[in-house]
This record gives sequence, C-alpha cells and structure tokens, in this order.
Amino acid sequence: MARKALLISPELCIGCRGCQTACKAWNQLPATKTANKGSAENPPDLTPNLYNKIRYVEMPSETNTVRWLFVSQRCMHCDDAGCIKICPAPGALFKTKEGATAFNKDNCIGCKLCVAACPFNVPRYDEKEKISKCNLCSDRIADGLAPACAKTCPTGAIRYGDRDEIIGKTQKAGYQKLYGQMDLGGLGVLYAFKDSPKIYGMDEHPQIPETVVFWHKVLKPLAYLGLGGAVAASLLHYIAIGPKKDEEVK
Amino acid sequence: MGNQMIKKANAFEILNHWLLAGSFLILTLSGFGFLFHLQQVVAIFGSANTMKIWHNYAGIVFSISLFLTIFNYLPVSLKFGSDDMGWIMKAGGYFAKKAAIPPQDVINAGQKLYYLFILFAGIAIAASGFFIWLRPQVDDIRKWILLSHLVHNIAFDLFMIAVPLHIYLGTLANPGTFRIMVYGTVPLEWAKKRHAKWVQKMGY
Ligand code: HEM
Ligand code: HEM
Ligand code: SF4
Ligand code: SF4
Ligand code: SF4
Repeated sequence: MARKALLISPELCIGCRGCQTACKAWNQLPATKTANKGSAENPPDLTPNLYNKIRYVEMPSETNTVRWLFVSQRCMHCDDAGCIKICPAPGALFKTKEGATAFNKDNCIGCKLCVAACPFNVPRYDEKEKISKCNLCSDRIADGLAPACAKTCPTGAIRYGDRDEIIGKTQKAGYQKLYGQMDLGGLGVLYAFKDSPKIYGMDEHPQIPETVVFWHKVLKPLAYLGLGGAVAASLLHYIAIGPKKDEEVK
Repeated sequence: MGNQMIKKANAFEILNHWLLAGSFLILTLSGFGFLFHLQQVVAIFGSANTMKIWHNYAGIVFSISLFLTIFNYLPVSLKFGSDDMGWIMKAGGYFAKKAAIPPQDVINAGQKLYYLFILFAGIAIAASGFFIWLRPQVDDIRKWILLSHLVHNIAFDLFMIAVPLHIYLGTLANPGTFRIMVYGTVPLEWAKKRHAKWVQKMGY
C-alpha cells in the first residue's frame, strides 16, 4: 500500500473552517463553546474534540493592508513518530498501512507521555484521560475515501493522495521541497509553503525530543543488558570464586 | 554455647523489607511490560490499564516502605569510617579467600552503600513516577514530564544492575544471610566474624 498524505496549501485557504466542521461531523465530536478573543481563529487551540484547526496568521504586507496566512494544523502522521515511540501501552498508538498514526482508546492507559513526546504538541486527552487527535480518518481511507477535511475543502487547500504522487506533482509545479518531506522520516502532512516555515508558525526543524531518542536507543536496551549482566556476573562469581564459606571468613 | 542465636532484624524490619521487595517485583515486572510491550506480561495483569493501576499503587507501597527503611538503615549508613574504607579497599573480601576485613557495623560498608543507593534511586524513581502519574499543574509541563521520564528510566536501569547483585549477596554468596530476612536471627559466632563492632556494642 502506497503511503498516503495530505497536501496543505495555505495560500489557497480562505479560512472558512469547513474542514473543522467536517472533521467534527465525521468523527462525531461535539462543538465547544468559546469566547470571542478578537480573532476569527476559533477555537484558539486543538482540543480533544477538535482534531484540526486553521491557524490565522496576520502579516504586514506591502501590497495589501494585511497579509493573511491560514494554516491547517493537526497531527502530522510522522513516519518516525515520537508519540508511538514513547507510548508504554501496546496497541494504543499504531501505524496503519496507509501511514496514518491511529489510536485505540481502549488500549490507552492515559499516561499522557505522548503529549510530551510529540514534536508538534498535537495529542490531547479527553475527560476519561484517553488520547484524542486526528487519525487521518483512518476508517475512511481504509475504504479508499478521502479524509473528511480534504473532501470538504472547497478550494483545494487540503488535498489527499499518494504521498509520492503529491511530491512529484508539486515538484513539477515549482516547489523544490515541501515542508515535511524529509523531517522525522517524512511527515504524512506536507505543506506547500511559499516562505520560511516560521512565518506560518511551524518549527523549522521538528525533532523528537533528545531525551526520548536517548531513552529509546540507550536506556531501554540497558534495562535488559544491566539485568542480564548483573545476573551473569553473579553466576560467574559463584562459579569462579564461590560463596563465602563460614570457615573461610575471618 | 556454640550455637547461640542473636537477633539482627526485628519483625518490623523484616515485614518492611518484603513489602519493599514485593512492591519492587510488581513494579519491575509491569515496568518491563510497558517498556517492551510484553504481551505475556500484560496478560498476567489482565490488560495494560490494570497493569498501570498495579504499577501506580505498587508505587505507593514502595514509596511508603522506602520511607520506613530510613529508621532502620539511614543512621548507620551515614556513619562511614576507616573500617568501612578498609572494607571497600578489600572489596569486601569477595575476590580473595580469607581476606582480612576490618570489623564492621550491623551492616557492612557494601550494604551501607547499597542502602544509600536504594534510598537515592528510590526517591528519584518515586518522585518522577508520581510526577508522570499525577501531572501537577506547572508551567512547561512537557519539559518536566520528559525529565521525569528520563529520571524514571535511568533509575530503573541502575536498579536492574544493583538489585540482582543484592539478591545474590543476600542468598547464594553469603550462606546464612538469607535467614535474617526470615527469622531475624543469626548465630552469634557467624555475626562475630562479620559484624564485630555491632556484636561488641550489643555486649557479647
Ligand atoms: C514509586 C512510585 C512509582 C510511580 C508512581 C511510578 C509511576 C509510573 C508511571 C506513571 C509510569 C508511566 C506509565 C504508567 O502510567 O503506568 C511508569 C512507567 C514505568 N515505571 Fe514506574 N513508577 C514508580 C516506581 C517504579 C519502580 C520502583 C520501577 C522499577 C524499579 C518502575 C519502573 C517503571 C518502568 C520501567 C516504566 C516504563 C518506562 C516508560 O515507559 O517510561 N517504576 N511508572
Ligand atoms: C527476593 C529478593 C531479595 C532477597 C532474597 C533479599 C535479601 C536480603 C537480606 C537477606 C537482607 C539482610 C542483610 C543483612 O541484614 O545483613 C536484605 C537487606 C536489605 N534489602 Fe533485600 N532482598 C531482596 C530484595 C530486595 C529489594 C528488591 C530491595 C530494594 C529495592 C531490597 C533492599 C534491601 C535493603 C535496603 C536492605 C538493608 C540494607 C542492606 O542489607 O544492604 N531487597 N535483603
Ligand atoms: S504529529 Fe505528534 S501525534 Fe502526530 S504522529 Fe507525529 S508525534 Fe505523533
Ligand atoms: S496517553 Fe495513551 S496513547 Fe498517549 S502515551 Fe499514554 S498510553 Fe499511549
Ligand atoms: S484527516 Fe480526518 S480526523 Fe484528521 S483532521 Fe481531517 S477530518 Fe479530522
């Protein structure tokens, strides 16, 4: 199965937030009451009931009164996913054959370690302390359908398809490199940015926290090696030198 | 006279040791289950969710028990003198037959160091564990959780080296030691050879 991906083109987005609504409809997520904070960006952040949102960025502009950037935010479906790496519960977070990072609330133990290990600060947890985030509509894409957000987007700012095809097409259209093409083994959400990612509110070089990588590469194997080594050393001592027989103790 | 017994550990100390060891076993087992997604281990507990509950509540028992060890071992462990240095220089006599070891307190220098390690690493693993579990409201929580995760796992690795050695030293390596944590008593002659300073202090 070819890896799937979303292509986000902020310059095509009109900020209608149809994707936010479609996502809630498909994933049966209730609406949340929010207060007006003087921006059309709403709600202000991802929540357990909001898997995606449009970030509104206001930039000074020479040609217009203001330059608006609308950036779709959600789980990036990293190939090398920090959330999966750190998760201690078997089967709580997993990769689907399409490359989505999906979750199963029944297996989640609510430790929230994934919240700390995600380079994009994506996972949220619900009132039962279970993980909640975009799952690339893994139920839809398993049936060959496009995710609800991509399906509903009226301008093509969110498009869905084979990851390799998306990269090929955008290269022909003049994009040297998409945001997310190489990072973290390649993200499942690619961005056609026309400027530096920072302007769009994205991390230039997203990385899994060093402590998580160190833990994964060194501390985890060391748990087995330490235990095995200590047991082996004890056995070796018992055979080579032997116990302290009472008559030998002075 | 040759087989007179003397009391080395009282009931409180023995009970607390097995609370510590028992909770530690549950924590280690479930800890490995989490670390390596061991399905067989998860099956023992029923599900990952019940394993987490066992891990967390065994953590409470472990913490209380660890606290109680202070009364038994901390004062003597902090008394580290030239006889203790002598024990260290001779590596406790574990690598030579009939090494002459300076007289030792109720626990020897190695046991003192082991205790201080257990206390230190135990506080580290308990504090980090409770932090991950209870997620106190602090600024920059993600950083603190990552730090706790790191500390929890470094302490775990150290425990995995130290505890098997302790179990070996408390059983096979030193015949006659294991009964301390069962009956609390040892033969006087046995104690004179190993804990001379303590035996003297007890008035024998
Ligand atoms: C003393 C109180 C302790 C508390 C409150 C505690 C709590 C936790 C928590 C919250 C987790 C994350 C997974 C979960 O939610 O269950 C965890 C993981 C773990 N704990 Fe503990 N723990 C404690 C002691 C220990 C001890 C004594 C050991 C072993 C010697 C241990 C070994 C582990 C290991 C190996 C993991 C999995 C590592 C990981 O995925 O980060 N814990 N513990
Ligand atoms: C089944 C495994 C274990 C056995 C057979 C065992 C055996 C013993 C024995 C015989 C003693 C008495 C030594 C003496 O008084 O001279 C002792 C003391 C002690 N044990 Fe254990 N133990 C075990 C597990 C543990 C665990 C898991 C811990 C902590 C994580 C622990 C911590 C201690 C401490 C702090 C002492 C007192 C200080 C010392 O003697 O070093 N033990 N143990
Ligand atoms: S963006 Fe975060 S939650 Fe999504 S796959 Fe990557 S690490 Fe996991
Ligand atoms: S909160 Fe759930 S999904 Fe996240 S790391 Fe813990 S068990 Fe895994
Ligand atoms: S892919 Fe599905 S779950 Fe993810 S944001 Fe879009 S509609 Fe929501």
